Amino acid sequence: MKRTVFLLIVFLLFSGIAASEEFKMPKLHGFLEEAFAPRFGSDNVRHRQYNMAEARLQLKADYYFEGDNILSEWQAGVTSKCDFLLDLYSGGKVITDLRELNGFFTPFEFMDVIGGRQVLTWGTGDYLFLNDLFPKDYISFFIGRDDEYLKLPNDALRVMLYPEWFNVDFVWIPFFRPDEVPDGYRVSFYDPFMQGIAGCNSQIDVAEPSMKARNFVYAARAYRSFGSYETALYYYRGFDPSPSSFKNEPERQLYHQRLDAYGGSIRGPFLWGIANMEASYHYSPEDRHGDERTIQNSMMKYLVGYEKDLGNDFRMAFQYYVEQMLDYKKYKHSLLVTDTEYGKFRHMITNRITKFFANQTVKFTVFTFFSPDELDAYVRPVLTWKATDSWTLTLGSDLFWGKSSRTEFGGVRKNKNIYVRLRYSF
Amino acid sequence: MGKIIGMVTAITVVLAASVVFAITADEVVNKASLASYYQGDDGRANIHMVITDSQGRTRERDMTILKLDLEDNGEQRYYVYFHKPSDVEGMAYLVWKHPGRDDDRWLYLPALDLVRRVASSDKRSSFVGSHFAYEEISGRGPEEDTHRIKTEDEEYYVIESVPKDPGSVEFSYFLTWVNKENFLPMKAELYDKNGKHYKTIEALEVKEVQGFPTITRMKAADLNSGGNTVSETSDIEYNADIQEDVFSERFLRRPPRKYIR
Repeated sequence: MKRTVFLLIVFLLFSGIAASEEFKMPKLHGFLEEAFAPRFGSDNVRHRQYNMAEARLQLKADYYFEGDNILSEWQAGVTSKCDFLLDLYSGGKVITDLRELNGFFTPFEFMDVIGGRQVLTWGTGDYLFLNDLFPKDYISFFIGRDDEYLKLPNDALRVMLYPEWFNVDFVWIPFFRPDEVPDGYRVSFYDPFMQGIAGCNSQIDVAEPSMKARNFVYAARAYRSFGSYETALYYYRGFDPSPSSFKNEPERQLYHQRLDAYGGSIRGPFLWGIANMEASYHYSPEDRHGDERTIQNSMMKYLVGYEKDLGNDFRMAFQYYVEQMLDYKKYKHSLLVTDTEYGKFRHMITNRITKFFANQTVKFTVFTFFSPDELDAYVRPVLTWKATDSWTLTLGSDLFWGKSSRTEFGGVRKNKNIYVRLRYSF
Repeated sequence: MGKIIGMVTAITVVLAASVVFAITADEVVNKASLASYYQGDDGRANIHMVITDSQGRTRERDMTILKLDLEDNGEQRYYVYFHKPSDVEGMAYLVWKHPGRDDDRWLYLPALDLVRRVASSDKRSSFVGSHFAYEEISGRGPEEDTHRIKTEDEEYYVIESVPKDPGSVEFSYFLTWVNKENFLPMKAELYDKNGKHYKTIEALEVKEVQGFPTITRMKAADLNSGGNTVSETSDIEYNADIQEDVFSERFLRRPPRKYIR
């Protein structure tokens, strides 16, 4: 409701201005897509045979102000993108998903402003996010939707400054938007209260921060290049995008604890390829000493990555990622005997191979996550065929393994699927 | 006596040859590189490509290209904005071309607001799925091959270029027909490792734009598969006063409307 009000204000503002100008109809683009994903796992989700059966229409249009006025001088415009989803999973309802509706302008040579619903991304990881704490949709990611749907939009004001020596982005998000994470309805998962894999039988309740000035989310990035090397510093003040702490155990309630993050990254050429390094300190202000049993401890996150072009449209990339729980002794000390105990470190290796065939009309990628200490893995093979400029056929699969249900991918291992998507772009 | 005549003849031939080839192969290639990739200090153009495969099916690409020369036959910046096909509309591609080492390349994906760094060692890979290799659009460094003038006639120098690092490319050598008047390369034939002619690039139309002779229509044909790509360049403007900061992350996110139309 509050989001709708916010967007309505943005919309009215721009439509009012647009009406007063000589309005030139913007070009409409988008696609129509059919997607189906049979699944093979025995669990307790809403539909056991499939986890995606949907038709999607996406419409997008950009408008730039023209003529002799301040908006044109500011190179102002409006970006809009809306999805209409006919989702059989939810009983064939049509869901309207406004993905983008924002106004942008350049009031000064050194400043860009974007206000409204928008997707925000930064950081150097590939499917691994250390300093990018903007919301993600892991349900879409796990069931085989396009990569576009991994990112959820924010209702935000973003001010980008470009002084001489470096660039700065400031982001203000008045309403915290959490990640979409498996909750048992479409994707089964590890329920810490049931201490096992749960589907629709899960009774977890998630408390979201209320809307008030104290709960505004702020994020910033300062960045600049040194020759071919890009460096950046990051800041985030808000909440953990995933509900990682317990609010009320008897009521099976989780919540998004406060989170402050400080990080940095560098990316550039290295050994005939591209290397990146990123680190982030996640400070948990509600558990500053690390001895609160129900609240996530502070953490350090580290990432190194390397990508190489091997020629003939063949690329290979690796990442090594480590999470380190801080105040681990205190965490361990605070645990009850019935609690699930997590390790101090979590290691993850990822690999991506990308190969194009037939004049780049066929693309094959495999992305693999593997944790050598938790012994869980997630493999994402995707084959895309651009049959014509308009028609695209995508075949893919989401394959999860894990020895233990309480590991990241072990917990969702019952959701293995194959999927097919047919898209007509216009 | 016969020996002396022989020697005189030999000397005459050598002299004649050096008079005829008053210009060296390297000079021709450098001038050709300047004429085709470094005209003006900066420039913008719209490119329309039609890619035809061996079975006659076509695909189209529409883009706007901006370029800035930091030095002639040296450092260069490219910005490519995609208009068509519609599934790539709004994507932008940034290249910092560094002669003698790997280029820096970035790709912006608007749906994810993602600026992705692209590893780019292989300059022979296809440019946007066309029959043009990446470096046939942005220019192959003259220093990467050993050149000699194979023949010449009234109109053309025919240059034979042999790669210094044969492992990095799929051809064993290529011939280029360079126009003697304006130094535009009007045709190139590429030969594979068995000496077989497998690819031709041809200029189909040349126009003078702001005093610069410019190839406005060219074709790359793959003789093995039978496919080809025709590229048409329009709305060319040289010295459009494109600033260096356009070639940065800021303008990947926020395409410079002034030049993109």
